[in-house]
Amino acid sequence: MLKKSAANVAGLVLALFFLFPTYWMITSALKPKGSTITSDYDLVPFSVTFSNFVTAWTKPGFLSALGNSLVVTLTAVLAAIIVGITAAVAMSRFAFRGRKSFVLLMLVAQMAPFEALLIPMFLMMRDLQLYEHLTSLVLVYFAVTLPFCAWTLRGFVNGIPVELEEAAMVDGCGRWGAFQKVTLPLLGPGLVATSVFAFITAWNEFLFAKVLIRSQDRETLPVWLSGFQTAFGTDWGGAMAASVLFTVPALVFFLIVQRKMVAGVTAGAVKG
Amino acid sequence: MTAVKTTETAAPAGEIPPALPPAVTGGARKRRRRGGAFDRALPYLLLAPALIAILWLIGFPVVSVFVTSFRQLNLGELVRGEIVWTGFDNYVTVLKDERFWTVSLRTIVFTVAVVGASVGAGLLIALLMRVLTPWVRVALQIAMLCAWAMPILASTTVYQWMFDQNYGILNKTLVQLGFDSYANYSWFSSGTSTLSVVGLLIVWQAIPFLAFSLYAGLVGIPRDLYEAAGIDGASGWQTFRAVTWPEIRSLLMMVTFLSTLWDFKVFAQIWVFKEGGPSGESTTLAVLQYLEGIAKSHFGVAAAISVLMMLILGLITFQYLRRLLQTEEGKI
Repeated sequence: MLKKSAANVAGLVLALFFLFPTYWMITSALKPKGSTITSDYDLVPFSVTFSNFVTAWTKPGFLSALGNSLVVTLTAVLAAIIVGITAAVAMSRFAFRGRKSFVLLMLVAQMAPFEALLIPMFLMMRDLQLYEHLTSLVLVYFAVTLPFCAWTLRGFVNGIPVELEEAAMVDGCGRWGAFQKVTLPLLGPGLVATSVFAFITAWNEFLFAKVLIRSQDRETLPVWLSGFQTAFGTDWGGAMAASVLFTVPALVFFLIVQRKMVAGVTAGAVKG
Repeated sequence: MTAVKTTETAAPAGEIPPALPPAVTGGARKRRRRGGAFDRALPYLLLAPALIAILWLIGFPVVSVFVTSFRQLNLGELVRGEIVWTGFDNYVTVLKDERFWTVSLRTIVFTVAVVGASVGAGLLIALLMRVLTPWVRVALQIAMLCAWAMPILASTTVYQWMFDQNYGILNKTLVQLGFDSYANYSWFSSGTSTLSVVGLLIVWQAIPFLAFSLYAGLVGIPRDLYEAAGIDGASGWQTFRAVTWPEIRSLLMMVTFLSTLWDFKVFAQIWVFKEGGPSGESTTLAVLQYLEGIAKSHFGVAAAISVLMMLILGLITFQYLRRLLQTEEGKI
């Protein structure tokens, strides 16, 4: 009994450790101007304002950076998911020469240390006249997420019994009809989970965004935020508000998967 | 009925993070179809976009990084479009530079420390989660989810603020607790101290994935194994050694391998804190490659650094990678 309460205390302390930066980010963002930078000990905010969010939102570059990040990330992930699905179906549903090597290629490709390909990527984008264009980032993020998407989706397609498709085809569906009406709906949760992780990867990416884009109006959010000291000076409240706004989309997507994840874990537990 | 079951079995893979091969890789359903030329070409048509993309956007750069490392390619050559072969000159330049060796050693030590700390802590927290009261476990899981979901640049900015020299909450707390020497203490005055803060940030954000994955592995261990160990009168440690450890060993090795891949090439956090400083003391290989290639436009030399980087990473992970490919090949 004593052991259990000791464990619970440790669990709560750890929860505080993991939660504190989020707490500190939000409360700093909510503090009125003069009371962020202060020598007073202010672990709990006494007055609350949203003016920091207005400051961050109206800072030059924030909105365009947010827009750029959304456009680049969503385009790349959508492309990776579509191309990934077709590859996954081919790998999982067909027997053909070279299948094994292709599957291994996917496994190896997703472990490629992309950061080490910075120089050739930079040179290649320059040759293609894509340097300074958001298209270059779309291509890089597409390439980074594609092997992972194809590999993970292959696992999900493997989990769907092929007999279901065959039954649909016996009932008169074409191959495309069987895929569209049977496999695709069952693939839903897998698609959501895969695209969320791809989204997070691209949403976070910093190195290529910094190297391939130099002009300010094409910056993505990570690069914009990294230069916040030029934008905010020592206005930590504003910087924290910008960080909150940057976190929200990622957190929303994470919560979507979290539900699936918990469902998966409990399903496994019941089956026992 | 079958449909429901399928979604359920597919769901656990949802927690699999980028690059983790699904635990549920059912044997591929091979089916030989008799049919026309279109049917035989169909799998290749479906694969074509992915194959072309990978060859173009990954395969070509991999070849190109090797080729570039044998060229003299500075801004002048790049603008003029000249191709100057220099053999191993770039490698000689890099390997003769004492800084490269310091930076490589620092990168390896940093990676080992960060991976060790995060995997160790992740395992301990996963073990702890099993014995927690449900509501405490949920609280811990939500807290970890918040850390995990925070974009890297947001968390880096928050850590900068927490560790701020004059108004950071850490220094203020330490002073409150009576450590007066921490008033206006700078956490970024030396490379070791800077990298420690960066390491803490990375470990803090890496633990949630590790703890969640390992916890899922622990939950999957059949209960009767523990009952049997209990009947045999095994102590807590003996139970861990005999039951838990063999069951999660392969999962543990997998996440250690992935963490190594991820932590070895960290750039954003290190760059944003101090741009590799003070005076280059927190520079790692990824930062060195950026400084040499992008900041100084020495593309040839930087490509040589990239190749050496891949080589070092390959040497560290070689044993595991080989085993992974063998087992996966067997499963396909």
